[in-house]
Parts: sequence; C-alpha cells; structure tokens
Amino acid sequence: MLGAKILLVDDEVVFTENMSKLLSSRGYRVATANSGDEAIRNLERENFDVVVLDLKMPGMDGLTTLKEIKKLDLFTETLILTGHGSIDSALDAIKLGAYDYLTKPCEIDELVAKIEGAWGKKDEEVKKDIQEKIQKVVESPSSVFDVFPREKK
Amino acid sequence: MNNSSPANSNQYKNGNGTAREGYYRRLFRRFILLTLLCSLIPLLLVGWGINNYYTRFARNRMMLSFHTKVENHRKIIELFLKNRVSGLQVIAKTHPKEYLVNVSNLAHVFDILNSEYRSITDLGVIDERGRHLAYIGPYNLMDKNYSKAFWFKEVMKEGVYISDMFMGFRKVPHFIVAVTRSENGRKWILRATIDTESFRSLVENVRIGKTGEVYLLNRSGIYQTSPRFSGKIMEKASQPLGKPCEGIEVRMEDKSTNHAGPPHPRQLIAFGWLKQPQWMLVVRQDYSEAFNDVNHANLAALVFLVLSACAILIVAVFITSHMIKIIKKRDLEADGLNKQLMQAGKLASVGELSAGVAHEINNPLAIILTERQILMDLAKQSPLLPRDFMDQFNNSMSQIDMQIQRCKRITENLLRFSRRTKSVIEPVDLNEFLCEVINLMEREARSGGIKFLTDLEEGLQTVLSDPSQLQQVFLNIITNAIDAHEGKPYGSIRIRTRNDSAKAGVSITFEDTGCGISPKNLERIFDPFFTTKQVGRGTGLGLSICYSTVKRLGGDITVESELGKGTQFTLFFPYNPPADLQKDIEDVHTF
Repeated sequence: MLGAKILLVDDEVVFTENMSKLLSSRGYRVATANSGDEAIRNLERENFDVVVLDLKMPGMDGLTTLKEIKKLDLFTETLILTGHGSIDSALDAIKLGAYDYLTKPCEIDELVAKIEGAWGKKDEEVKKDIQEKIQKVVESPSSVFDVFPREKK
Repeated sequence: MNNSSPANSNQYKNGNGTAREGYYRRLFRRFILLTLLCSLIPLLLVGWGINNYYTRFARNRMMLSFHTKVENHRKIIELFLKNRVSGLQVIAKTHPKEYLVNVSNLAHVFDILNSEYRSITDLGVIDERGRHLAYIGPYNLMDKNYSKAFWFKEVMKEGVYISDMFMGFRKVPHFIVAVTRSENGRKWILRATIDTESFRSLVENVRIGKTGEVYLLNRSGIYQTSPRFSGKIMEKASQPLGKPCEGIEVRMEDKSTNHAGPPHPRQLIAFGWLKQPQWMLVVRQDYSEAFNDVNHANLAALVFLVLSACAILIVAVFITSHMIKIIKKRDLEADGLNKQLMQAGKLASVGELSAGVAHEINNPLAIILTERQILMDLAKQSPLLPRDFMDQFNNSMSQIDMQIQRCKRITENLLRFSRRTKSVIEPVDLNEFLCEVINLMEREARSGGIKFLTDLEEGLQTVLSDPSQLQQVFLNIITNAIDAHEGKPYGSIRIRTRNDSAKAGVSITFEDTGCGISPKNLERIFDPFFTTKQVGRGTGLGLSICYSTVKRLGGDITVESELGKGTQFTLFFPYNPPADLQKDIEDVHTF
C-alpha cells in the first residue's frame, strides 16, 4: 500500500531535502517546495494528502500560504511545523483550519505520527464527502453530473 | 558570590545614595534660606518701620510733656512770687508805719503772712535812709544799714523789687521781696526774706524721676536754687543763657563733658524765662530715663522680633524636613517604578531578541536532527558495519540527540519571553497546590538534606490564576532554593501562605537557609541570562521568567537576602486576575 502523498514546504532547502529522504524511506511519497508560491503551484497541479508547512518563510509566509491552500478547497490536511514556537501563530493557524502543529526540532517519529493523524482525517473527510454525494445521487439521480462533474484534463 | 559585600537585606540598594543625600542637604539649605528670606525680610521691615514711627511719636510726646511741665511750673513760681509781693503791698498800704514799727504788731503781721504757708523767714520795716525801724526774724539785723545795698536802691527807685539770691549781712543765700509806701511825703520800705528752703521745695516740686532736676538761673547764670546734680546755689552755671523770651524751648542736649559742670549723658532739656524776676526755669532729665518707656517698648519689640524669627526658623526647619521627607519618599517610589520599568524594558528587548534567536537556532537544530536521523536510518540498513564503529556511532548519535534536546530547552525558555501565552484561568487553592509542588520536589530536596517546613494559613482564599504558570514559578524558586544549599549538609525551605485582605490577594513566602545573595547580585537577580551557577547548569532565565510570569498574572515578586544566612522570596497573587489576562481567557474560550 502506498504511503500518504506529502508536500513539504520550508525555505530551508537542506531541511526539505533531508526530511524528504527520511519520509520517503518510511514509505511516503514526498514533494518539496521552498516557498509559499511554489507550494500553491504544486497544489494546483496535483493532489496531496498532507501539507507540512513552515510558518516563517520569506515572501509569502506560512499563514498566508495556509489561507491560499484553504481557498483552493482541496481534500488536503495541513500540518504546521515551525521553528517559531509562538503558540499565538500556531493557534491562529489552527483557527484557519490547520490540522495540528509541531515545533522544530522534532523527532521523525513524532512527525510521522502527526502525518498519519492528518492523513487519517483527510481520508475520513473524503469518505464523508463521497457518502454525502452518494446520498444525494440516491435521493436525486438526475443530479449525478452535478455531484460528480466530469474531470477536466 | 562577592563575600566582601556587607550583609544586606534591602531589595535594591541605591548606588548613588550619597550623591542623593548631598542633593537633599543642598535642597534643605536652599529651602530654609528661601523661607527665611521670604519671611524675615518683611518682618524686619515692618518691625523697623513701626519702631521708627513709634520712637518719633513717643519723642514728640515726651518733648510736649516737658514743654507743658515747664510752662505750668513757671506759672506756679510766678504766682508764688506775685502772691508774696501782693501780700506785702496790701500790708504796706493798709497799715501805717507807726503801727508796723511796733515789734509786736509786726510779729502779728508776720504770723498772718506765714499763717497759711511758711514762706517768709523775716520781715522788716526800713526807713528811707536804709535803717531798720523794726525787724522780726531769726537774725540780729536791727543795727544794719542798707542804704548801700543794691536792692535798697532798686526798691526806692521801682517801688517793688524781687532780688536775686545774695548773701547779705546774714551770710546765707537768700532773696528778698520789698515794697515801698509813701506816708506824709516820706518813703518807707516793707521787706520780707523768702524762706530759701520752702522756695527750693516749691521749685523742685516737679516729679521727674531719678535723673531729673529743676532749678532757676538768674540773668548772669547764677543758680538761684540748688540743682540736684549740676551745682550749688549761688554758683555760676556752665549752661549758656540766651536772651529772655516769652516762649519755652525744649531740646536735646548731647552727652557733654567739655563744660565746667559735671559730665552728663545725653539729656532732654526744657527752659523758659520768668517775667519778674528774670529767672530762667530749667528742667532736665537724662534721655535714657525720659525715654525709658520707649526703650522698654523697643526692647519688647526686639524680643518679640527675635522670638518671631526663632519661630519662623523652627517652622521653616520643620516644614522643610517634612517636605524633604515627602520628596525622598516620592523619589524612592520613582526609583522603584524606574527599576520596574527597566526590568520590563530589559525583558521586552530580550524577549524580542530571544524570539529571533530561538527561531534561527531551531531551524539548524531541525536540520541536524534530520541529518542524524538519516545517518541512523543508513546505519540500520547496513548490518555489515564493524561493531566498534557501531558502538561509537550509537554513542555519538545519542550524544547529538541529548545536546539538541538541551539546545531545544534553551530556545523554549527563550521563547517564553516573547510568547504571550494564552492562560488557562481557574480557581486555585494555593495551599493544596503548594503541597503538590512540594511533593514533586521532595525527593530532590531530601537527597540534598533539605527539609520542607510549611506554615500554611487555614482558610486561605482561592485565587483565580493559571496553575501551569504558577507551577513553573514555584518549581523555579524551589529549585533555586535547593541549589542555594550546595555545600551545606542540611537546610530547610520554609513556605508560608497568608491572606492579604488589604491588597486583596495571597502572599507566599519561600525562605531558605542557603548561601544568600550578595547585594550586588541581588540587584540583577531578575535580569535575563544572569546566573551564578556553573556554566551549563543554569541559563539565567529562570527568575526572569518567574518575574514576567508573576507580573503577567497580576502579582508581585520581591526578594530579600542576607549573605550566608539565606534568601526570602515573597510572592503576591491577587484573588482576581488583571483585566488583560481575563481578556486572554475570553479569547481562548472563543477559540
């Protein structure tokens, strides 16, 4: 079984590279982005289960990136991983819809546990959504194309 | 620790205390000087003005009184002499010579003249050739011939004559009053000698104190009565005479030693001329006596002035000391506030700095940790590595992990400054809470030979506060107290709680028997990164965090310490948290 698809967003290239190696060796499919803009571009291009997001970045900062992600309305959970251990900004991030937060430096196992949690939540959300859609189609079969629009290529 | 520093239990010692004292002394002197100038100058001016006016007024009054005295007295003397002359004239005109030459008749007349007032010494009837026709008196003068006497000539010429004092045949100073009568074309004279003693007492019958004197001078300046001090009757007076005049003159005579008379101090002198005879009535008195009342009044005023000045001085000293005391108190309060402000400023700047530093360090730490993890992963996947290498590798890896964790603790501590931690506020029973904290620390304390002694007030009111922050503060202070016993075989930490209803809160005292803190270090105890512990053992942040945490919870923390004896931290927490903390709670609840 394939592991979760993860997007690592951090301005520290070495960190994203290392983390990518560690997570890949634990069975995850990892992509990296070194800025908020790059992350958004990646997300627009493909789906990710979990986004691991740093708060303090040059250019678009973590909170703004998070807002942008939320605007995309994707089935993606965001996990905040920040060196700036301010509870305030972490709480703000959670208010904006982040799944949870971790402070740097953190053990890989700790991160993996949180990723699993976020992935699980994402799966549940997807399942719930599909169930709701099926329910709608069952209740009104004519709306099948409204509920499941044709995927655009 | 600085052992040479004296034991000191003050929270803060003012470094520029002596300069301050000097400033207060200067301020004190300046205030006193100003107060005295402002109050004494007007007082002296008013005093001087009143005194001047009063002295002038009193002097005028005194001179007027002298004037009146001389005027009245002159009238009395003139009246006396006029009466004597009239008496003689009446007798001469109503009695014929034949009647009067009879000695018994003359004695009868003499008695009548002296009946009311014994003013005549003798009485004689003298014919136109100067021979005594009859005489009644104490002297034997019947055979005397006065034809050559100056008065005889004058009375024969004028008809009435009052002589100056002269010695005459009897060789004692006396003066006579004589009148003539023409009978059958022949003149005869009725002559009376005025009793010198009674005349003298009449002249001197003016009350003029101890230094005052009254006397008469004739036109040649010869004393007609004996003055009290200046000379004797019939002597020449040193006093210069002016021309006889109607009026009365009053003047001040300065201290004199130059003329023939006895020296006298400054005197007030008044004089006026009698009409008949032309004698000058003189009244004089020492200035000091005449102006005794004025001098008394001036002395009283001076005493009053001095007393007022003393009173002003005392009041000025009292008020100024009081003011200085208030200023000192205000300055101390300002110092306290400044210190708090400085402490807050230090914490704020360190807070900002540490947030940045923590973030910058956390990122490389995270990378190191990932690198370590990669190496660990690789090692796991390579089972062929030599055992020795693996042992060292694992050792190094765990050491790297430990050091990273240590760095992480430091950065976490640093971040607590910048973090406005959202508080979870709930009612806390501090007695119960402290017991829990003591339980946590008991094992560590026991291993250092330290006993906890508790003195917890029963019925201690609960406070609304953040238990996790409280716990951090208490743990920190207790850890420091335990560390302060290093090198001592045993010791104690006494924890006391009290309700402080006046300040609406609870005060907690932690008193240890440790090594104490020198005054120099005591000043810096709440400064961030200030530590006396060995390198690596303390970050110097514990008490800074305590300070900012307690302040954030609306409380207060003070420390007193005596080197070698121990340290006492007193914490205060209000029953209710401050408003901004309550706002935080609301924020948390809305989230």
